[in-house]
Amino acid sequence: MAITISGDHALPGPPLSARLTTPQVWGIVLLAPYILVFLAFVVYPVGYGLWLARHPASYVALWHDPIFARAAVNTLIFLLIGINVKMLIALFLSGFFAQQRTWIKWLSVLFILPWAVPSIPTILSVRFMFNPEWGVINQLIFKFTGEDGPNWLNDPAVALTMAIGVHIWKSLPFWTLILMTGRLAISHDLYEAAEVDGASWSQKFRFITWPSMQTLYVTCTLLSMIWTLGDFNSVYLLTGGGPADLTHVLATLGIRYLRLDQLSLAMASIVCALPFVLPLVYFMMKRLSR
Amino acid sequence: MISRRSVSLAVAAVGLFYATAPALAQQKTITVWFGKGFYKSEDDALLEAIKKFEAKTGIKVELSQYAIQDMIPKTVAALDSGTVPDVAYADTYDVQVQGKWAYEGKLEDLGDVLTPMKSAFAPNTLETALLYNDVAKKKAYYGFPLKQQSMHVQIWQDLLEQAGFKQSDIPTKWEDYWSFWCDKVQSASRKATGQRIYAVGQPMGVESTDSFQSFYTFMDAYDVKLVDDEGKLLVDDPKVRENLTKALKDYTDTYIRGCTPPSSTTWKDPDNNVAFHNKTIAMTHNFTISIAAKWLDDSNNAALTPEQRALGKKNYDEVIITASFPNKPDGTPIKYRSDVKTGLMFTSAKNKAEGKEFIKFLLQEENLRPYIEGALGRWFPVTTASQQSPFWQADRHRKAVYNQFTGGTTPFDFTKNWKFTILNNENVWAKAMNRVVSEKVPVDKAVDELIARIKQVAG
Repeated sequence: MAITISGDHALPGPPLSARLTTPQVWGIVLLAPYILVFLAFVVYPVGYGLWLARHPASYVALWHDPIFARAAVNTLIFLLIGINVKMLIALFLSGFFAQQRTWIKWLSVLFILPWAVPSIPTILSVRFMFNPEWGVINQLIFKFTGEDGPNWLNDPAVALTMAIGVHIWKSLPFWTLILMTGRLAISHDLYEAAEVDGASWSQKFRFITWPSMQTLYVTCTLLSMIWTLGDFNSVYLLTGGGPADLTHVLATLGIRYLRLDQLSLAMASIVCALPFVLPLVYFMMKRLSR
Repeated sequence: MISRRSVSLAVAAVGLFYATAPALAQQKTITVWFGKGFYKSEDDALLEAIKKFEAKTGIKVELSQYAIQDMIPKTVAALDSGTVPDVAYADTYDVQVQGKWAYEGKLEDLGDVLTPMKSAFAPNTLETALLYNDVAKKKAYYGFPLKQQSMHVQIWQDLLEQAGFKQSDIPTKWEDYWSFWCDKVQSASRKATGQRIYAVGQPMGVESTDSFQSFYTFMDAYDVKLVDDEGKLLVDDPKVRENLTKALKDYTDTYIRGCTPPSSTTWKDPDNNVAFHNKTIAMTHNFTISIAAKWLDDSNNAALTPEQRALGKKNYDEVIITASFPNKPDGTPIKYRSDVKTGLMFTSAKNKAEGKEFIKFLLQEENLRPYIEGALGRWFPVTTASQQSPFWQADRHRKAVYNQFTGGTTPFDFTKNWKFTILNNENVWAKAMNRVVSEKVPVDKAVDELIARIKQVAG
């Protein structure tokens, strides 16, 4: 029987501490450090960043800054080319690495190295290799042709292409590995049945592999978009946003404004990426919750 | 069971702690940020001055040193969070942010420190720290002068000789000079060595102060006057535009003709030094003699091998030349810009009294001179007494610096119009260069954009 007492004559309930069970108290105690850390290192910085970026004048200033427009375009190019090329190559390479041969297993260990090694040494190594004067690539070109090699990182278009290339090279192993696990989950009986029916390689891919991998591929692409939007290292370590700030993306633009003593613009430039990121996160979570 | 002895020991420890606590609490600590020097002796001299200050005053100094290009972003972040250092120095403050921060009321008035020692400073040094504060509506010393620098040319004599030339072959006429390096030296030295040597190191990076300091020298060659003595813009004068176009054309032609390394468009301040040390370039213009001084530093560096030290000494004494720019296109000599490097104290600093004590101590002749001379000639003193030190007559490189400064220099535009610090920080000069060399924009269009930006910011 439920008794509901309301109005002025309501009896005071027992204190909160008395209403909580022991497991609930333990739950709160164990959760408290995480909540504190989350508030200190996630909620506060993000909130403070949004607070710094609250002035409409900052967005007007960004709008009038040609470097911001350039960075926004660079970001779109980076996303469109970087993600699609990377995911497509990963999809096909996953088929290659899924083969059960010893030498391929050894090769996969080498293949995973760029992703496993920290960004700073790997990307700086690439930067040194492509230095126009003393980099190994141009030294070889000069040795064999007597001509100066290309200005790899000093031509804005070439430098951005190379930054995309580095991004692909660095993250390709990870996505290949993820898609490979998806491939390995496909029942081998389906391929055997298709072979009996005389299906070609492309037909097996079209009617078995792709339908089975589609969901995983789209989820990976969404996740990769979120990560790529925040990829600071590929551009900053390789080109530093140069020459003349022409290869910045939204992820690296903030540091430029900081150098220019324009903190609110730095924050506003980061906030500008939110309209891209938030829908992606929403769709991502929606897919994962299915 | 706890023994009586343990209790006695615990009581004694607690007593000892309470006895020393007031003394510990009394020791003040100040935070000092300094841009990292180019060589060990420079940093060692600073550390020595700090040690002496700590011993004399009992104030502890927490020193943090950062790379040149990191100083401004770090300071901006510190200003925003309210955790500024008590005293800060960066090679880039004066040219890129000091005037702006003074105007915004972010800097502490150091008049009480500097006015009593005013007579010690050489002409055109202390005055550059006299800036306008729009919050306090007054002019005051918002910064303390430490040292100054000017433009020099550094040449590898051996590369010049390998190409079949002597120092006396270097022309003094403007056009002939650049043509000599570009058309004669580069091809001849490549042929002689089989190496990809570039004749000139022409800094063009937007993150480098070298690029606009060098470009100012090119502007001065063509008598480009962007502001008058009151800081009023003169860029609407057609003559200014015409000469600015000539200066930018000459500056970028070196790149277009392939006479400077391709990477010079992304060089930061140390990069032309590195290219020179690696013998990738035969000459470079640099706003200090840090290039020559590096080899002197090597010659005294105990961590290096005897061979490396001998090479350092040989390069400094015999191989590297410190020279001047050629004459202007009109045949007269260039009057060089000088740039007084300043340290700062922020209004939000927590230990101003102790910080000022540190500044006062550092500016004493016996402390400042070793610090300046520890930089091996890279920086020229701001005090009259230090300028007359025998140090500046000790070798040909330092004599060249001494003669250049005592021959008379002229200040940068940001000392007349503080908004030029914003233009320098944006590095509109290097951007104009890059518009031409990276984006293939015609020189006159790049100049129009440059003038438009100057008017927008500093008009």
